Amino acid sequence: METAPRICSAVACNLDADILAAVYPLLEEGRVEALEWAFDALYWAEQVPEWFEALLQAYAQAGRLIGHGVFFSLLSGRWTPEQQQWLQDLRQVASRYQFDHITEHFGFFTGQNFHHGAPLPIPYSAAALRIGQDRLLRIADACRCPVGLENLAFAYALDEVRRHGEFLDQLLQPVNGFIILDLHNLYCQLHNFEVPYEELIALYPLDRVREIHISGGSWEDSALTPARRIRRDTHDEAVPDEVFELLRLTLPRCPNLKYVVLEQLGPGLRTEASRLRFQADFGRMEALVQPQRAGLAAGPGNAFRPPLAPLTAPAAEDGQLHAQQRQLSDILETAGSYEEVQRRLHASALAGTDWRVESWAPHMLETAVNIARKWKQ
Amino acid sequence: MKLPKAVLGAVLVGLAVQ
Repeated sequence: METAPRICSAVACNLDADILAAVYPLLEEGRVEALEWAFDALYWAEQVPEWFEALLQAYAQAGRLIGHGVFFSLLSGRWTPEQQQWLQDLRQVASRYQFDHITEHFGFFTGQNFHHGAPLPIPYSAAALRIGQDRLLRIADACRCPVGLENLAFAYALDEVRRHGEFLDQLLQPVNGFIILDLHNLYCQLHNFEVPYEELIALYPLDRVREIHISGGSWEDSALTPARRIRRDTHDEAVPDEVFELLRLTLPRCPNLKYVVLEQLGPGLRTEASRLRFQADFGRMEALVQPQRAGLAAGPGNAFRPPLAPLTAPAAEDGQLHAQQRQLSDILETAGSYEEVQRRLHASALAGTDWRVESWAPHMLETAVNIARKWKQ
Repeated sequence: MKLPKAVLGAVLVGLAVQ
C-alpha cells in the first residue's frame, strides 16, 4: 500500500453523477490522494451501490477516507430522537468504513423539522458550550476516531466573527478535536464584515486545523443597502482567485494539517466546461499543497485522538435555548418585512440576552431571512 | 493514490446508470 502524503489533496465526492463525472479523470490519473464523503446524505438509502462502495472502501482501506456530516444540528437546544438516530446510524456506518476522521458543522438548524431549514449561529454562551462539548463527545463515542468542526460562513455581527475561532477551540477541547478551516467561509466573513485577513486569522487556533476546505460561492445584492453585495457560500461556482490566495497564505501556518479538500456541488458541474474548470481548480490546489510537504515531520504532531470515556449522563439540553431558537426560526421564516423582523426580534425572548440581537448587522439579518426562507421551501 | 483498475471500471459502469 502506498504511504499517504503528509498533506493529502482531496475532493468531496458523493453519490452524485455530476460530481463523479467531474472527479473521474482525476481518479483515473491517480491524483486524488483522499476522499471526503458526506455520509449522512445517504442515511436514507437502503443500500449504497456496489460500485460506489468499492470506491469508498479503496480509500478507507488506505486510511484516506474522511466523513463529513451535514444534518446533526450540533447546537440545537433540545436533544431529539432524530439526533439519537443519527448517532446510531453513524456508529453503523463507521463500523463498515474505516474513517480517518469525522466532521460536522457549527450551528443549529432552523425549521421545525429535523433535516430541514438552514444552519445558523448561536450565542457563545455557557449553555451552548456545554451542549456542544457533550455532543462532540457523543459523536466520538459513535465513530471511535478523531472528530472535527467546521467554521461557519454566516455571522450576525463583527464581534461574533472575531470570537468564532476561540469558541471553536473551547468546544473542541474535551474531545481533543480539530478544526476544518473552510477558507471560502472565512472569505465570506472577510468580505461581509470588512476584516483584514491577518487580523482574523490571528484569532484562530491554527494548531487545531487538520483539514482545509476550498470552494466557490456567489454574490447577492442587499435590498437594504443597495451598494452592498453579500458573499454567500453556495458551493455552486469555481474557486475564486481570492480563496486560492487565502490557501497560499494559510497553508504554512497549520502545523497539524493533513487534508486539503476541494468542494463543489453537483448542480454546478453539469457542463463539460464546469467539469474542466473543477479539474483545473484541483490542479491549482495540488500545486499549492505539494511544496508545503517538504520539511514537515512524517505525521502531524497531534493525531487528535478522542478520549473515549464511557458516557453515562443523559444528553445535554437547554430548554431556554431551544425556545429562543424556535422563536428566532419563526421570526425569520414568517415575518412580512425587514421592519417586522426587527420589531419582533426586539420584543422576543432573545432581546437583552447573550444573542445580542441589538448589535446584529442589518445586511446580515436580511441575509439570515433569505437563507431561512430558502431552506423552508 | 492509484486505484485498482477494477474499482475504476466499476465506477465507470456505475456512472453510466447513476
